[in-house]
Formats: sequence, structure tokens, C-alpha cells
Amino acid sequence: MLKFNYQKAEKQLTCYFAGRLDTIASFNLSDELYAKLNTLRGTDDPTVMLTDKINFDMTEVNYIASSFIRICVTVAKQVPRGNLTIVNCDPFLKKTFKIAGLDEIMIVT
Amino acid sequence: MAESPDEKADRIIGKAIFAAAEFQQFDQEQTDRIVEAVYKAGLNARISLAKHAVEETGMGIWEHKMWKNVIATQLVYESIKDVKTVGVISADPITGITEIAQPLGPIFAVTPVTNPTSTAMFKILICLKTRNPIIISSHRGAAKCTTEAVRICYEAALAAGAPEDCIQLIPSGSRDFTQLIMAHPKIALILATGGTGLVKAAYSSGNPAIGVGPGNVPVFIDGSADIPFAVSNIIASKTFDNGTICASEQAIVVEEKTEQLVREEFERQNCYFLTPEEIAKVEKIAITAEMSMSPFIVGQSVAVIAQKAGITVPEGTKILLAKLNGVGKDFPLSHEILAPILAFYSAKDHNAAINLCIDLNYLGGIGHSAGIYANDENTIMKFSLLINAGRIVVNTPTSQGAVGGTFNLLPPSLTLGCGTGGKNITTENITAKHLINVQRVCRRRLNHKFIDADQKSYFDENCEESVLTLEYHKNH
Repeated sequence: MLKFNYQKAEKQLTCYFAGRLDTIASFNLSDELYAKLNTLRGTDDPTVMLTDKINFDMTEVNYIASSFIRICVTVAKQVPRGNLTIVNCDPFLKKTFKIAGLDEIMIVT
Repeated sequence: MAESPDEKADRIIGKAIFAAAEFQQFDQEQTDRIVEAVYKAGLNARISLAKHAVEETGMGIWEHKMWKNVIATQLVYESIKDVKTVGVISADPITGITEIAQPLGPIFAVTPVTNPTSTAMFKILICLKTRNPIIISSHRGAAKCTTEAVRICYEAALAAGAPEDCIQLIPSGSRDFTQLIMAHPKIALILATGGTGLVKAAYSSGNPAIGVGPGNVPVFIDGSADIPFAVSNIIASKTFDNGTICASEQAIVVEEKTEQLVREEFERQNCYFLTPEEIAKVEKIAITAEMSMSPFIVGQSVAVIAQKAGITVPEGTKILLAKLNGVGKDFPLSHEILAPILAFYSAKDHNAAINLCIDLNYLGGIGHSAGIYANDENTIMKFSLLINAGRIVVNTPTSQGAVGGTFNLLPPSLTLGCGTGGKNITTENITAKHLINVQRVCRRRLNHKFIDADQKSYFDENCEESVLTLEYHKNH
């Protein structure tokens, strides 16, 4: 459901999501994701900004619930503007992010 | 730090937008499953919600509010369940046009005190059917029963797989906050049902709105009508939930030649004609100095109204009738009153009767509803061509007839479009089809009349319309 790839040289974390990210799936993966981000920042205080770039790779995702959109917003608040990118959306997901207004606060491709 | 009203509005609408984003991924089957679950939950709660509404608002009759809940759930569901509202909704190989339904986005719905639970459930069903999240603001006088109706629907929707926050309820009571939500740029549409002020606020918000305000329903009993039938239907309609439906009869118009027969029939069926002195007393409690109906008599029984007015009427009286000689501010009871009070007019002839109906129609009820009892098709059509009403119901109680689904095949609805007269874009009964954006995929189909016409002629200043018309219609 969720895999990570951290490239130390670029200070870039790519999160590979997969499947149907409905409310339950989003809830289940959120702990793992936030724990990884805490490891990167060296503290579990989410108000400490992450300096790493974060990519959410959506290649294998076919559905997102509003709870996953909330996760994206939560992470966007923990990184400098422009440091969270949602990549490899199919057009269906691209539109979903567009309707949610996420392209106003992060890059969605 | 306390949340500011702007922050609160952003938070509520933000949740609705996320719900909209999720909802637009649903297919027709998933959508219909949610609608079915919500309709069943609402229908199962019809009695408790009806009793709750009457207890809280002090208006109406619970048995009738129960029927309103049935209309708002079962009849509405039956009318929309097979309607396509997701993806391709029609495809015509001849014209090459394919229609695609898209949701609108967050819809802000305001519900009235007179029909609180039924209107809330109705609006929820048509919003869910079209994959639009709904934010409801209830009338402050019906906050608890509306909250309960919303809770029941939301829980059923979630259990059927609906997006979180697809139904939200904002606290009632703050007009400023309601206006803030109405004007929010992320609101796609306002569904406003209520008084004149509310509807005006909706239209002034800058967002698209369907607002349904007051009516002033005239009913003409023509000489060709079956008078006992007409009177019994009018009574059944005007006493329904103590007259709280905005399409309920407000004035009865007859010709002099039938006045006595109609009067006797009303009296025989336990209605009471007020004396001029009694009319003056009822006016004082029913209509304010600003010529709007007093909220204290809305949905009250004749017994309560008589007591408030300080008059004595026979026990069991169903409706109070006031014979008036005119329409307008000098005749307060000629205005809309959502209670079992009817204005009564006798006109010297057929034309004068219709003229009176036109005057009543234009006294605050343009575009809403009207009624006629007649068995002469010419009269029915003459009346219908002259009255400005979205619904002209024939030989039918106007409350039930205008709402649709029971006495005719109008779509059942608790939001009745009033056309431009009521500042609406439609005169139709509002239903699911009004809550989608229809996209048209238009495939190439050449207009050969135009393509094959001599194009040079159009550039010739001396070439007149008659020549161009011939050229256009030339059969090559």
C-alpha cells in the first residue's frame, strides 16, 4: 500500500501509494507516513518544518477519499511551499485534486 | 484562539470541497446505493421526525408533516431513482450529441420552519443523487428536528459508502454567518427556501441560486366546476398541515351567480365566513404593518387563530373565510397567509373574476402557483394563459398539486421554481436534474442548407433577406 524511496543526495523522499485509498486505507497508511516524516525531521513535532522534498507517487492509485486529501494538506503544511509534489496522477485523479483545490498549495502532475 | 467567522466558513466549505472531490469519482451504481440508503432511513423516521417538528415549531399537524416526509423521501426517491445523473446520460446518433452529467460542487441549502425535516431530506436526496455535497442551514425555530433529520440521513449515507462531510449542518441563528456562506466563492449553488429576505440574500450573494419565496395562490371556481368537489378539495389543501405549504390556496374567486352556492357549500363543510368586524380582528393578528404574515399564526389551527383574534367561531371550524372587496394594502387578508384563512371574492362576471385572480397573483405571488376548478377547457386555458404561475393546477388541491407526485405527474418537490417573476431561472419543480452541469459532446454534423448556400450572396450589400432566405432553403 505504501513504499518509500529516500534519495539522500537530493534530500528527496518519494512515497509510492497503491490501490484504492478510501477512508480506511488512508487512515491505516497515515501513521506510517507521519512516522517516516518524523524520522526525517528528527522530531515528532509537526510544527518543525521538513527541509526535504516530498513526492507522492500516484502511479498505482485508482481512487482517493477525502481523508487522503486531508493527509496531503497536512503534509503540505509541514514543508516549504513547492516542496510537496504529487506525481503520476491519471487524469481521473488529476481532476480530483483539481476539484479539491490542492493544486493551489502544491504541485500536482 | 477562537475561530473567526471567515475561518469557520472556510473550514466548513473546505470539508465540502474535499467531499466533492471524492464524490465525483463515484459511478452511478455507487451513487444510487447511497441515495437508496438515505431514502430508506428518512422514510423509516417519517413519524418521529414529524412529531419532533410539530413539538419544536408549534406549527402544523404531525400526521400531515408525516405525509410531507413521505413525499420528500419515498415519492422523491421513486421519481429520481432511475434518472441518470453520472457520466453519459444520453447519446443521440442522429444529432451526434452526447450528454454528460457533472456534479456542481458544494450546495448550500436553507430550510424553512414550516417544512423543516421534509425539505432537509428532500434537498439531501437530490444533492446526493447528483454527487453534490450539501451544507444545510436550518431555520432557528426548527434547529433540533432538522439536526435529527440530517443526522439520520448522514449516518445512512456514510454506511452506504458516501464521502465524509457530504452532508453538513451549520448552526442556525446567525444571519451574518449564513450570508457569509452564501457568498463564499467555493459555493456552487444556493438552494434557498424561505421568506423574501432570505431569498433576496441568496440572489444578492453573487453565487448561482434557486430561491423559492412566497406565493399568493388565487383559485378560481368557474361556473362549470363541480362546486362540492371544488370546496372539499380546497379544504383538504388549505387545512393540510394548517396551511403551511406555500402553494396552499390564499384566495377563492367566484362569479356572483355562483357565490351563494359556493358559500353554502363551504358552510356545509364546516367553514366559517367572518363578519366585517371579525375580519378586522383577524387582520390585526394575521398581517403585520409591513403587510407580511405574522409568524405567530403560521401553521396554527382555526381554534388558536380565533382565540388570538378574540372571536368566537363554531367548534370544528376548518377554515376562516373573509369576503373582501379589493386586493392590496387596504385589504390585509388579500396577502399570503400560511394558516387556514382564505380571502373570498365575488366578481360580477367571468372576466372580472379572472382579473381579480391576476391582481392576487401579482400581489407577492408572481410565478408561484395558481388553481382553477372548471370543466370547460376554454376557461381553463384562458385562465392559464393569463396567470403568471409556474404551476396552474386544475381541479386539484393546490398544496398537494403543486408539490407534485400525488394528484398529477409533476416531479415531487419541496422547492418550487417561480420563474423570473420570483427571480428564478426556472418555473419547474426543482429536482435532481437541476443540480447537474450537462456537458454536450457535439460531433460534426454539417448544416447543408448553410454550407451549400451561395456564400458570396451574404457579402453583397444589395442582396436582401428574401433572396438569402430563398438561397438558404434552396433544394439543390
